[in-house]
Amino acid sequence: THRCNLQFTIIIGCQTRAVHSAEAEVQTLSTAVSWTQTQPHDEAQELLLQPAADRLDPPGLKAFLQRVEDTVIRELDRNGRSHAFDEFQVNWEDQSQPVSCLHCLQHPSAQERGLHVTSVSWSCTGSVIACAFGRTDDGDWITEPSCVCTWNLDRRGLNPKQADLVIDVATAVTALCCHPQQPALIAGGLYSGEVVVWDTSRTQDPVLVQTGMSADSHREPVYQVAWVPLQKAGEFGVLSACSGGRVLLWTGDLNEGRFVLNAAYALVPQQVPHSSYVSFKARGSSTVGVTSLALSPWDPDTFLVGSEGGLLLRCSFSSQTPAAVPSEGHNVTLRAPAVFVFRPRSGPVHSIHCSPFHRNLFVSAGTDGRAHLHSLLQADPLLSLRVSDSSVFQVQWSPSRPLVFAAAAAQGTVHIFDLGRRSLRPAATIEQGGADQAATCLAFNSQNSHLLALGRTNGTVCIWQLSHDLTEQSPREISQLEQIANQVAA
Amino acid sequence: MLVEETLKRIQSQNGVQGIIIINSEGIPIKTTLDNASTVQYAGLIHQLVMKARSTVRDIDPQNDLTFLRIRSKKNEIMIAPDKDYFLIVIQNPSD
Repeated sequence: THRCNLQFTIIIGCQTRAVHSAEAEVQTLSTAVSWTQTQPHDEAQELLLQPAADRLDPPGLKAFLQRVEDTVIRELDRNGRSHAFDEFQVNWEDQSQPVSCLHCLQHPSAQERGLHVTSVSWSCTGSVIACAFGRTDDGDWITEPSCVCTWNLDRRGLNPKQADLVIDVATAVTALCCHPQQPALIAGGLYSGEVVVWDTSRTQDPVLVQTGMSADSHREPVYQVAWVPLQKAGEFGVLSACSGGRVLLWTGDLNEGRFVLNAAYALVPQQVPHSSYVSFKARGSSTVGVTSLALSPWDPDTFLVGSEGGLLLRCSFSSQTPAAVPSEGHNVTLRAPAVFVFRPRSGPVHSIHCSPFHRNLFVSAGTDGRAHLHSLLQADPLLSLRVSDSSVFQVQWSPSRPLVFAAAAAQGTVHIFDLGRRSLRPAATIEQGGADQAATCLAFNSQNSHLLALGRTNGTVCIWQLSHDLTEQSPREISQLEQIANQVAA
Repeated sequence: MLVEETLKRIQSQNGVQGIIIINSEGIPIKTTLDNASTVQYAGLIHQLVMKARSTVRDIDPQNDLTFLRIRSKKNEIMIAPDKDYFLIVIQNPSD
């Protein structure tokens, strides 16, 4: 028998039927746009006093409050009337810490050239001190190159004889102010009338914006620069004041690296407001040379101006009165900002500072050697304190103690006054050197309130540490300051 | 609402700056302050009340904490503790 295997292979082919296809075109004839957006839930509504009928209180809350309400109200009431802690003060810090000099910073090449320290400013973080060098005495310093130096005091390898950063400037720097929010920016005013902003974070060319010598810029030395908050939150402009009687507000155009004039104010003797106290006769000069400027931290519209002739004026940014000066080709109309005149001083007003603790108080100082405490509400000073026999170059309120301010005198001493004391003599005096080491500028550190920077004509900047009682606020200080401010004559 | 009225009464006392109610776990239930401050106060004060209570009971097991007051330079914090809730009131007496 044979067996044979038969293998069958069946091949099946398949093919789909032809696919029917057709072409057609579609076009929209009309369109409509619509969008939706969720709105953020208003946070304020999440707070307490909201009639939430749909929200059930946690169990037992009502009963708990009923239990404790009376006790708590009784304690609150008793506490409000209690005198138990009236003069009670606790000192956590080391009391014996005296006023001492922490650092004495110098820039040797500036010292060799005999440059003075004209202005000091702390950065907003409180760790960097920026110092401007120039000359404070009379003379033509326009061609004298100078510099701005910064030291970071928190850095471990601090070398007092070598600055962390030196910015060379072609002419003497007469004013300096660090940006209140951005630690790298510093605004400066120059002897030539220019206003510059340096960006210390740039390694190449630190100049960020400058006015240049345009038709808008000052022609006289700029004695004060200040950062001014603008309408838009977070934006700042620079306000500069020069001895030519001009106060200019600049905004920076970062693309061009130039400053654009935003507003301009001119002070002329004829437009100084009259009052029964003041009869200011223009002594032939056609300008009111501005030597000091102060912004009010309480009222963004107010600024204070002190002049070479001893005038002390309250000015308004929003003043619309045109200034009585011939047009100088400025792009912006010059306005007369003065709205109120205080009792004038007998010499140039070198420094004005508004109190950070009371909206009406400010202190001013000048060549007559006195510091005057003024209220914005009246022309006469509230208090007149004798600081020294010579000029007082700068006064500044303490950032931590409402009643304390410091004054730097031409003799080189710094007097710190405490208005809470009965005596009008200084609470503390920092003495160092004679007339060749006149104290030209000082600055409190608002972040580390025990530090005070002091610049001198011998080109050194000393950082002083203040004692505890000069920096720690006591419980009743604000009310004491209120009492002083309320001494305004009716 | 009784709860809201009670809190309004407390708020109207002289110098009261804020009121926070936290539960036994330290979570805020009601507050008149902003969220960030509330959370900060709640966490810190809860720990402090627990410590104060254990201090009192360690000294005398029959005793217990009834009220806690923290006086600082700027204000006074009053805490009324309970089994389930704490009532925290911040007052500036000189206001």
